Amino acid sequence: MRIDEHPVLTFTRGKKVTFYFDGKKIEGYEGEPIAAALHAAGVKVLRHSHKKNRPRGFYCAIGNCSSCLMVVDGVPNVRVCVEKLREGMQVETQKGRGDLIVED
Amino acid sequence: MRNTADVVVIGGGVHGCSIAYHLAQKGIKNVVLLEKNYLASGGTGRSAAGIRHQFGTEINIRLSATSIKMMENLAGELDYPHGIDLMQGGYMMLAYTESQLDQFKKNAEMQNSLMNAGTKVLSVDEIVRITPALNTEGLVGASFNKRDGHVDPFHVTQAYADAAKRLGVEINTRTEVVDIITEGNRVTGVVTGKGEVISTPAVVNAAGPHGAIIGKMVGIDIPLYPERHQILVTEPLEMFLPCMVISFTHGTYFKQTPHGSLLLGVGDPEHEVKDFNQESTWQFLEDVARKITYHMPALKNVRIVRQWAGLYDITPDSQAILGKTDIEGFYLDVGWSGHGLQLGPVVGKLMAQVIAGEKPDIDISVMSIDRFKTGALIPEPACV
Repeated sequence: MRIDEHPVLTFTRGKKVTFYFDGKKIEGYEGEPIAAALHAAGVKVLRHSHKKNRPRGFYCAIGNCSSCLMVVDGVPNVRVCVEKLREGMQVETQKGRGDLIVED
Repeated sequence: MRNTADVVVIGGGVHGCSIAYHLAQKGIKNVVLLEKNYLASGGTGRSAAGIRHQFGTEINIRLSATSIKMMENLAGELDYPHGIDLMQGGYMMLAYTESQLDQFKKNAEMQNSLMNAGTKVLSVDEIVRITPALNTEGLVGASFNKRDGHVDPFHVTQAYADAAKRLGVEINTRTEVVDIITEGNRVTGVVTGKGEVISTPAVVNAAGPHGAIIGKMVGIDIPLYPERHQILVTEPLEMFLPCMVISFTHGTYFKQTPHGSLLLGVGDPEHEVKDFNQESTWQFLEDVARKITYHMPALKNVRIVRQWAGLYDITPDSQAILGKTDIEGFYLDVGWSGHGLQLGPVVGKLMAQVIAGEKPDIDISVMSIDRFKTGALIPEPACV
């Protein structure tokens, strides 16, 4: 589901790009939030709660609520509702809280 | 609210609740606790809640070792179903100079000989084995005790409060003490902000940084003042930091809670405000981020979630003021200067013994308010 025409806002769409959700190839538009592209592709479950493993979906959409934390190009805890989509991104469902990345 | 009490405890932090519980446990059932805000709303709930054997004065070593033992069994003893999130992954005190390391060695010897604490002095290699992500630049060693760690301050307080209530203690939150009534040289009652009067022969001042205001109500000058300290909270991560880490050189400390968040703190007495201001500042955000990413560079990519501030109750020697006063029936448990949370269990027990007229299990007379008259201060070398 996508909005093609908005009654108030005008917007331009980036070029069509492909990216990967849990290894599966999906299309979206460059520069739109990753979450928007996932939503348009029918991906509704973005993560699971830690204690009871309940599914969590698109919620605040402004980077506040941590309902959409995913692993993007190997980096955990990325808020996909405010992270812009780029060609070839690897978006993965996050298991657990995400590890501290220690660079050498 | 009751209009008479055997003891009125002022302050619903961990100390107040622990005192109330231990009084009730002794059979002094008519105890009323008055808290101006809500339980653990002051220094208790704003604390990073580290627990450690690693102090440098005999009194603190005796108190902390006993308190840690109490915490190890606390949830069971108090029949508290939620647990107190006690994490005993150790507490690492970083040394950046040989003289600092020498002091840690002396402290460790004292901790081990007095209380069989099991504190070790670690080499840099041994430090890295425990905390691989730590920057070792300039490090010469560390003091470490694996039974140290941290705890959830809200749960500890609530555990005491719930147990106290079951034993008949009345806890009144949102109830400020505005006056204490004395007759001659003794306490006879307490007046609340709602205008109620509670007749009582005994009042315990466990009001933290507000302790000096309470003291004035009976004409006693308690030498303590509030000092703001702040803490930064990160997003939760998988557990990677087993121990609390502290550097007296930088005034920094950090820990990872069981929830996965990191709490990052800096003590900055030179710049921090010394009043009842508990606002967070952007200056702190910048300062703590710079200092903690020096200790652990990998944290630079971790997102910040929020920030809070709380007040230390600082005394001239950064040690608590405990026990009786010149006003009969007026007792003090204030002035913990930033390390009081962990001592709530043991001090509550000792204060209850003092109030009941017994000899306390641990002699706390060195912490009497009289030391400011005699000059027998007991400065603690191991504090932020």
